[in-house]
Amino acid sequence: MASRRRRKKKNKDSRQKSNLEKTYDKHYKLLLIIPLVLFLLAGSAITYKYVNEGEFINRGINFAGGISVTLQESATVTPEDLQVQLREEFPDYEINYRLLGGVGGAGQDVIIESNVQPNDPQSDAMVDRIIEITDLADNSVSVERIGAEFGDSFFRQMFTALLVAFAFMGGVVFFYFRTLIPSSAVIMAAVFNIIVTVAIVNALGLQMGTAGVAGLLMLIGYSIDTDILLTTRMLKEKRGDVNKRILDAMTTGLTMTVSTFSALLIAYLFVSSEVLREVALVVIIGLLVDVISTYVQNANILKWYLEATGTSR
Amino acid sequence: MSKIKKIFTDWKVILLIVLLAASFYLINPTLQDGVAIRGVADDSAAALATPQPVPVPSPDINPRDREVIRTIDGQQVSTQQEYFDVIEGFDINQTITLETNRNTYFMTTQEAFDENGTSLGVADIGLNVMDRPKSNIRLGLDLAGGTRVLLEPDEEVSDEDLELIADNIEQRLNIFGVSDVTVRTTTDFFQNSFIIVEIAGSTEDEVRDLLSEQGVFEARIANQTAFSGGDEDIRRVCRAPECSGLDTRNPCREVDEGQWTCGFFFSITLSQEAAQRQADLTRDLSIVNVGGTQYLSENITLFLDGELVDQLRIGAGLRGSPTTDIQISGSGDGNSEAAARENAMDEMRNLQTIMITGSLPVTLSIVRVDTVSPSLGEEFLNEALIAGLLAVLAVILVVTIRYREWKLSVPMAVTMLSEVALILGFAALINWNMDMAAIAAVIIAIGSGVDDQIVIADETLEGDNRSKGKSSWKDKLDKAFFIIMAAYFTLLVAMVPLWFAGAGLLRGFALTTVVGVTAGVLLTRPVFAHVLSVIIDDKK
Repeated sequence: MASRRRRKKKNKDSRQKSNLEKTYDKHYKLLLIIPLVLFLLAGSAITYKYVNEGEFINRGINFAGGISVTLQESATVTPEDLQVQLREEFPDYEINYRLLGGVGGAGQDVIIESNVQPNDPQSDAMVDRIIEITDLADNSVSVERIGAEFGDSFFRQMFTALLVAFAFMGGVVFFYFRTLIPSSAVIMAAVFNIIVTVAIVNALGLQMGTAGVAGLLMLIGYSIDTDILLTTRMLKEKRGDVNKRILDAMTTGLTMTVSTFSALLIAYLFVSSEVLREVALVVIIGLLVDVISTYVQNANILKWYLEATGTSR
Repeated sequence: MSKIKKIFTDWKVILLIVLLAASFYLINPTLQDGVAIRGVADDSAAALATPQPVPVPSPDINPRDREVIRTIDGQQVSTQQEYFDVIEGFDINQTITLETNRNTYFMTTQEAFDENGTSLGVADIGLNVMDRPKSNIRLGLDLAGGTRVLLEPDEEVSDEDLELIADNIEQRLNIFGVSDVTVRTTTDFFQNSFIIVEIAGSTEDEVRDLLSEQGVFEARIANQTAFSGGDEDIRRVCRAPECSGLDTRNPCREVDEGQWTCGFFFSITLSQEAAQRQADLTRDLSIVNVGGTQYLSENITLFLDGELVDQLRIGAGLRGSPTTDIQISGSGDGNSEAAARENAMDEMRNLQTIMITGSLPVTLSIVRVDTVSPSLGEEFLNEALIAGLLAVLAVILVVTIRYREWKLSVPMAVTMLSEVALILGFAALINWNMDMAAIAAVIIAIGSGVDDQIVIADETLEGDNRSKGKSSWKDKLDKAFFIIMAAYFTLLVAMVPLWFAGAGLLRGFALTTVVGVTAGVLLTRPVFAHVLSVIIDDKK
């Protein structure tokens, strides 16, 4: 008789589990290998880069110093020709061009970047040449000049700011959940996001400047958002078994991810401002990585934690 | 009561509406085109206009309060192109009428000469113009165009000296007729000091030339140099209260109806050589009597970077006397005693700053220059607006599809747009500059808003499925807001280090983000929750 009562109670909250789910319940810890491998790959890629090049990111001129000239209309010269000509005339410097803007951008804005330092008189010569060759009016040209030392110092500061922000955010998380493992899982997910996103950005050959670091900050905040949602749902909801709670959190979280993703994708495609596009791209990549860190890594860590502390069914 | 009534009688909703109205009022948007006056050049036709000179706009002016040109000589002027077309057609010595939204001015065009004295034809009437601002939101350099220069002293300087240098730069720029300039000092994480100079709507060359030099100050008597700036000649310029301030021998008094004047003085110490030079130059001058005081027949004229900045009388007692301690005196006017006193003190400060020029403790290096052309800035702005609206639509679409509840769309749109409006209203209130970083911050704030709204909507629409039976609205919202507050605090603390990093260039970003998410968490999102509670039927 006792067992019947117990079974009745269970029926309210448990349900028929599919075979897939049963397999998941048995082997879910193995899933943690995926993020671990990704993390190690990303970490080694970045370390390798640092050892070889002395940098862990491709610094934009914001951090490395140089000049950046934005030209507003495609003038009498194509960007490729301009680049070739400039390289011929200024062989001692790196000169690259990038096209700006996507759909809806007015004309084809072009950015010419070079590592010539602002206090080098050649930098003025280069800017003048660009204006001459492209025959553009003074007010269609925008110029940025950043000294290497300042750029360097700026970089170190942004980096420090990132670390400090990270530490503060970690503090808030611990304060909120007060339990060691769930809070650490949230932080670990955020670390995962940053490392893997940076590795991907590097792998794509992209530069990371101030905007990129701002994007990373936004990403940490966002990742902690989804992880807090997951953790709250998994730890604080008392009804429904663990898997159901994960699924619930996932549907809500994915809605958040998809909407932010769409908004940023629009920004990336429609806006020609380099600053905004850099932020958008970093966060877009980060959002994709966040899906793994939240639902493959964090969720399974929490499931393990709940089982180990006997609070799941 | 009806649902509409239920929504609007909540105090949060009322507060939101009031704040939105306030934001709208502060932002003061308009769709009208026009040409506004940004600056007036000294001694130009506009500066000599009758019945009164065209007023120079103060640098703190609210964008929408700028004077707007309506017609010139009866011709409508609504774009900058039209303005330039009209003024190009003038002859020398022609009388023209300028009509603005405030006043009508009459002025006579002048003739322009080059340095050899050859005529260059009719001179520009001296108005620096810009497109009429469409709102009170100040656009930063990224969006309005202009130049930003970051200067670093070559050696370590004290905070006091840094301020001195900054004042000096502002002074010199003003003398050159560069209005619309802000100069500020800042320090970064590593205790490096910087001076940031921002000039709207100017090109790079003018600024760089000006800033990379120390500045040359010269005092001449009868067209010969008496002494120059730099501590060779000027050993000390007094700024302390014992030897500078209001002049008791020339006290504040009303000289005319509504016209007050106050005298100031400060003493400087010359080197022996400079004192001797001054004595030699004044020895042969005669004495004149002005208003009961005796002065020399020649004035001492002060030049900064080759431009005349001031002329002062020389007290008779100085004739031929190689005194090293000299008192400089002058006065300031105003239409009240307080205004006159303030002007006098400003004048004094300016003169002191000028005299210290050339004896600045350090030279400055330019470490960073950004120029944005106005057209690029405008392009960014337009794109940001379009992309913003599209993004809002995309988000609403995703959420409405997910929850299959069309009733969500209007509240979500209203919430997101309200948050933007509140941020912009705040920016207009504190005269904050909107630049690209600020736009990124608005994006982050709205993004966090979207997440929070999803959490609220989720809890509202599906929370029942998760917990056993129905929980009250309060419980549901408590759960939702637990998550929301956690996210809020993490974002908040993340902005703290940004306030200090990177020579303060990211301060706007940090502040705007904080303002945006705070307004969201405290007001717009609770309002959203309230609206949902009314319009979503919980008949389940």
